[in-house]
Amino acid sequence: MGLIFLRTAIVFVALLIVMRLMGKRQIGEMQPFELVITLLIAELACIPMADTSIPLLYGLVSVLTIFLLHQLLLLADLKCKPFKAALGGKPSVVINKNGIDIPQLRKNSLDVSDLIESMRGAGYFSLDEVAYALYEANGKFSAMPREDGPREARGSLPVLIVGDGKYEEKNLALTKTGRPFFDAVLKQQNIRSLRKVYVLTLDGTGKVYLQCRGEKFRTFRVALPEGCAW
Amino acid sequence: MVKTVLTALVSLVLLGGAFAFETVFVERRFDAFAAAVEALDEKVREETATAADAEAVQEFWEHEKKQLHAVLPHGDIGYIDYWLAEAAGCIETGSYGEALSKLAVLRTVCEQIPASYGITFGNIF
Repeated sequence: MGLIFLRTAIVFVALLIVMRLMGKRQIGEMQPFELVITLLIAELACIPMADTSIPLLYGLVSVLTIFLLHQLLLLADLKCKPFKAALGGKPSVVINKNGIDIPQLRKNSLDVSDLIESMRGAGYFSLDEVAYALYEANGKFSAMPREDGPREARGSLPVLIVGDGKYEEKNLALTKTGRPFFDAVLKQQNIRSLRKVYVLTLDGTGKVYLQCRGEKFRTFRVALPEGCAW
Repeated sequence: MVKTVLTALVSLVLLGGAFAFETVFVERRFDAFAAAVEALDEKVREETATAADAEAVQEFWEHEKKQLHAVLPHGDIGYIDYWLAEAAGCIETGSYGEALSKLAVLRTVCEQIPASYGITFGNIF
């Protein structure tokens, strides 16, 4: 039983480290250690229950070990701030006044399309609608709208045209635009290489949200080609 | 907070108690069984062992294994059953040479099973 205790504790800690390293993408509404417990407890209880050659005590000891670790982590979580951050992670501010914080996004194994999806889930359809956006330690997305946020009518859904230096071909087809149109837009903005562009979105009113790597975002309007509607 | 500390302590005590109990319980049972196997082995070497001696060891093991089922994987217990039955069969037919080899397996198993519950690097991983 001492062995089962140690083995369960080792698996628990290993899973917890892996979950923390995977970033916020893998977590939803739970602290990493709570998710690890959810993953482990069903399996630990199930194996001795289904396999009659394993004593039931093995399952009970494992479950009790998980419970003990949970209580210890809970105490550490309440009493020790640095431990709490190491265990559960810290909120990650992914949008600030300069636009998207690319390193923070990468740190959490997320890309711009994940961010746009989270924003849509929170009721924001354009990247410039929020002043700050963050992923909480439990993976939940929170956003603070801009005081001077765009108030114009939403003509159509803003779509991602360039994500991480690459054109989104599906969205180019959807918007009935094309690479030459956006190449010209980028040239107009003095951007020589597409790889420099981290995100470019376009909405139905011709508003473009553009952010290059290491630069503040900018928004501007372009005249959409004829027949360009979605 | 108090409840969390209390439940953590209670579970720690329960786990520690279960660990200590398992160690002592398994070792004692196997020490007793190993002594019975050793005695039978002596008799087989002297070629004085009878079917009744083998049956006595089997009966002793039957009694011990009822309690061991709670803490040992049932496969391990079945393994001892198998080799003990083999040894008893050989003793019954007077094949003492073969019985010795079966008892040698049993003696090794009696050492290995309790050792496999010790907290060592190899056992943990």
